[in-house]
Amino acid sequence: MYRGREGQWAFVLHRLSGVAIALYLLLHVVDISLVMYGPDGPFDRFLAFYHKWPFRIGLILVMAGVAYHALNGLRIIVMDFSSWGVRYQRILWYLVLSLTTLIGIPVLFKVVPEILAGS
Amino acid sequence: MAVRARTLEQARELYRTNWELVWWVFMRVSGLALIFLVFGHLFFNNIQVNAGDIDYDYVASRFSRSWVKVYDSFLLGLAMLHGVNGLRYSVEDYIKRPARRFWAKVGLFTAASVIFVLGVMTLWAFTYEEMGEAIRALPGG
Repeated sequence: MYRGREGQWAFVLHRLSGVAIALYLLLHVVDISLVMYGPDGPFDRFLAFYHKWPFRIGLILVMAGVAYHALNGLRIIVMDFSSWGVRYQRILWYLVLSLTTLIGIPVLFKVVPEILAGS
Repeated sequence: MAVRARTLEQARELYRTNWELVWWVFMRVSGLALIFLVFGHLFFNNIQVNAGDIDYDYVASRFSRSWVKVYDSFLLGLAMLHGVNGLRYSVEDYIKRPARRFWAKVGLFTAASVIFVLGVMTLWAFTYEEMGEAIRALPGG
């Protein structure tokens, strides 16, 4: 563990979310590419499998990762290109966490009832 | 891996061929663009609609629109470059043996290239509205 303060946790979460999103992206391009087989191909059957609740919860986690990665990416850009970003990096990180939560709550209100209704 | 420059000439040479700097800048520029592209993508396909309702007809009708093809092409290209370069950073950081690191990168870039081509084919190689009709018109279709 290196120092273990906010800056390190910001990095750990950024890397974890980044790797998760990248792997999801590769999988997502492959599964959507199944539409090339046409309407009678395996696409709908495959998607019905993806629509089961464990995958829908996984999708919520990917979206949370996207929100965090995007906002913390902005924090990194501010730290790299402004004169004051590094000085306020800790406050900026708490701002990133707050905004991630703030975006996440309405998404949960939209998506969770859909998952409960569908399963 | 950074090579330490011992003379001014070596430092200039390093600067001229500093691909890591190019990628460093790319990660920030593409990251900024991806915030808008990805948030838009999630809004269209996971907030405006119920992701659990998405089926062939939904995806095919999306891919038959020109603006979706263009939008998704930018999303695919930038996200693949940004994501695969991010995965490369992780390979460089955590795989310590040079030979293993090399083959991990070969595997990563090969898989990513194949998947990228698959994505481009999905977006541009089919006219989904015609394909759907044609396949449905087949005997037994």
